[in-house]
This record gives sequence, C-alpha cells and structure tokens, in this order.
Amino acid sequence: MNSIFTEEKPEILIQEDGTRIDGRKPDEMRPISIEVGVLRKANGSAYLEWGGNRVLAAVYGPREVHPRHLALPDRALIRCRYNMAPFSTEERKRPGPDRRSIELSKVIREALLPAVFVERFPNTSIDIFVEILRSDAGTRIAGITAASLALADAGIPLRGLVSGCTVGKVGDWLVLDVGHEEDMWGDADIPLAMIMETKEITLLQSDGTLTPEEFREALDLAIKGCTYVYELQKEALRRPYIAVEKEVKGEE
Amino acid sequence: MKKSASSKAEFFVKDRELVLPGQALAKGSLKPDKGVYVDEEGVVRSYMVGLVEISNERVGVIPLRGGYVPKAGDLVIARIEKMSQRIIFADINSYCKAIMIVPRPEPRRGGRRHSLLAKYEALAPGDVVLAKIMSYDGVSNPLLSIKGEGLGKLVGGSLIMIEPSKVPRALGKRQSMLQVLKQKAKCDIIIAQNGIVWINSNDPKVIGAIEKALRKIERESHLSGLTERIGQLLDSLLGRKS
Repeated sequence: MNSIFTEEKPEILIQEDGTRIDGRKPDEMRPISIEVGVLRKANGSAYLEWGGNRVLAAVYGPREVHPRHLALPDRALIRCRYNMAPFSTEERKRPGPDRRSIELSKVIREALLPAVFVERFPNTSIDIFVEILRSDAGTRIAGITAASLALADAGIPLRGLVSGCTVGKVGDWLVLDVGHEEDMWGDADIPLAMIMETKEITLLQSDGTLTPEEFREALDLAIKGCTYVYELQKEALRRPYIAVEKEVKGEE
Repeated sequence: MKKSASSKAEFFVKDRELVLPGQALAKGSLKPDKGVYVDEEGVVRSYMVGLVEISNERVGVIPLRGGYVPKAGDLVIARIEKMSQRIIFADINSYCKAIMIVPRPEPRRGGRRHSLLAKYEALAPGDVVLAKIMSYDGVSNPLLSIKGEGLGKLVGGSLIMIEPSKVPRALGKRQSMLQVLKQKAKCDIIIAQNGIVWINSNDPKVIGAIEKALRKIERESHLSGLTERIGQLLDSLLGRKS
C-alpha cells in the first residue's frame, strides 16, 4: 500500500487516538461472513470470509482409514491438511506442503481435537481440509473457525464449536483481530482458539514480547473476540434451516 | 433410586427446538438420551446439530446431519462387494464394511436351512440385498444376515440415496410418512436405516415423484406438518386418482 513496488513498513501503524492503519478501533474486528454446507461431495463444509481472508474448509468422515495401518483401535484418527493456494499471497506461493503449512496443519488439528468425541468412531478417520484461497493475516484462526463449522456440518459429535481470534500488540496498544500490516510489523501476535460453551482454550500461541499484565489483558480481549466469532458461527449454522422454514411458511 | 427422578430438572430449550453442538439443554435429574452428553457441571449438552426431544425426564437430540452409524436390529440395504466361501463383504453406506457369514451346509436337516443356504449361494458381487444387522460392537465389522422373510436380494426396482440422518423423518411417526409415499405411488417402497430407498417400480414418473418427495423431506426435515405437504406434493405430481 505504501510503495508501488515493495511492501514497506508504514511510518505509523496506530495513531495516538487508537485508530489503526486500516481505520479500525483497537477492539474492532474485521468483517466476517460465514456460509455452511457449500460443498456437495464433502460430508461437511464451510466457507469463511474474514477481512481479506478467504477460507474453504471441508470434512470427510468418519470413513475407513487409508493407509490401513494408521487406524487406531480405540478412537478415530483425525487428520488435518492446511494448504495455501498458489494465488493466495502477493507473490506466488510455491504449491505443496512446506514447513509453515505442516506446522499449521498440526496446530489446527490439535485445536479441534479436544472438541471431537473421537472415541465414538474407532478404526475410522476424520479428514479435515483447510484451503486458504486468499490470505490476509490470521489464517490459522480463520481455518479453525471454518473447520469447526465443517465438522458440525458433517454431523460429527462435538463438545462444542471451536472459535478463534487473535490479539496483537502494536506500540503501546493491544489490538483485536490483527490485520496484515500489524501482523508484519507489530510487536506481538497471540492467536487463541477456544470451545466457547465449555470455556476450554484449545490453542494459545504467542509471538513477540508482552509483559504479564499485557498478556492477561490480551487474553481477555481475545476471549471477547472469540465470543463475537462464536455468535456468527451459530448464526451461520442455523441460517440454512431458518431459510427453509421461512420459505415453507411463505408458501402456506 | 427413583426418588432422584422427582423433578428438579431445569430446561433451557423447548421441545423440537433447533440446537447446535455444545448448546446447553437442561440441568438437573434427567436421563440423557441420544445425541447429548453431560459435562463436568452436570449440564446436559447437545453434541450435534439437531432437534431437541424432551419426554418424561429424558432429553435427546435427533441429528439433522451425519452419516449412518450401524446399530444391531437395523434393516439396511447393502451391496455385495467381495465373496469368499464363508464370508461375504457388503457396503452398507457407512464408515465400515459389513460382513455376512454363509451358514455351513447341513444336509438332511429339513428344508429350511437348505433354503437359507440357497439364498446366500444365489448372491453375487454387485447384488443389492435387504439385510438385518445382527450385531455391532463398534469395533469389529457389523454382522449382517438375510435370514428372515422379505430379506435377501432385491430384484428390479430403483434405488435412491437419502441422507441417513433424515431416515426417521422419511419413515415418519409409526411409519406414517412411508404409508403416504406407498399409497400415493401405489408401489412397494423400502426405506432402509442406512439411507437407501428401494422403490419397486419402473415407471419413471413414479420414481421421479418419489425422489422429489424424498428431497423435500431432506430439506424440510426440521419443520412440522411435513407429512401433509408431501401428500400434496405427490398428488400434484402424480395426479389425483384415488
């Protein structure tokens, strides 16, 4: 945005009154819209737009495990693949798994795992696919949010939906839902995912430095963000059913 | 023991309400039914997207999404895949394959057993059978059997797949929906628990109408008054002749 040729660090990331580089207030989220059940062939799916992020999540399963020897006799095997499309970033992203996407696959898997009743489906696998079509900071959290909806859409028993949000530190400010520039040049970045109904935190990472007080404050802010995301998730899951209901009632 | 049932239950939802995974349904002395779990604080929560069912101190959730989970006693429509001398593998539209064990031939033991053996011997890979799940423990493959009247190879007719979670709705209370479908289509219909529907008809008009009706059931399964609407739909599609 600052240079035509290369991205450079903007001079001011956050103004003195707390206005952020993209015009948001410190505790303001980017716009989010979610749609559930977008893929016909998957057992469950969700499409999420979160700021500039575009994420497609699909769930297959429970199904037979291939290769067979990976099957667990007492519970379902949960596998997750996080993948960025070559066209998802500014420069072409070299396709295929790399260090970062392997790590994020693991992180997303482990953020969703505590929510799933895996012991109900022994000897099977539940495969989660998270495809990033366009990335704009906070894709892991967007991926978790979308994948948990895809799991619910697939009818897989869940302790609750997993909602995610990030908090960052920019200068002296703690900001909710880190944007692209803040992610690149901010001072700290904390992604958090939790099962809102049972208040269990399933993912908490921290990159950068914060004081203990700041960290506690950041955690509270992130939970506030998650609560907001959770409401949107619930609304998205209900929407198709309500739409059909309205349609049928309109006919009568 | 029974005293605990004397109600102190508190409900957070109404009967037939749409609930989501993790949603708190009730608290207190209740019997958790299917589709729910009880958390550490004793709150009964749904574990899937579905409709709440409350009856006599019981809370359960009828799923609106999800694949078929085999259960002993279920009638399923299966497709024969692999066969060996003693074991037949069948696809039951679930996350695991089902097996059938061919009974040992026992000569001179009356005609009955022989006819059962003949039933098994008549099967070939690719055949579609109506079978019953005899046992399933959740770990090994479910065991199927075609012993019993009406069970066995399905000859002729057409197959339609529906979402397994919508089968209870397609059958209706005391099979009321199935009765409507059968009456209007004027042919035999079997709705198996695993989401496969067999229509004993070769009339494309009838099959098309039934498929439309089934899709409508899938779409509107969370709403009431569906049986009536399906009746009307079939009347308009097949023409009122009764």
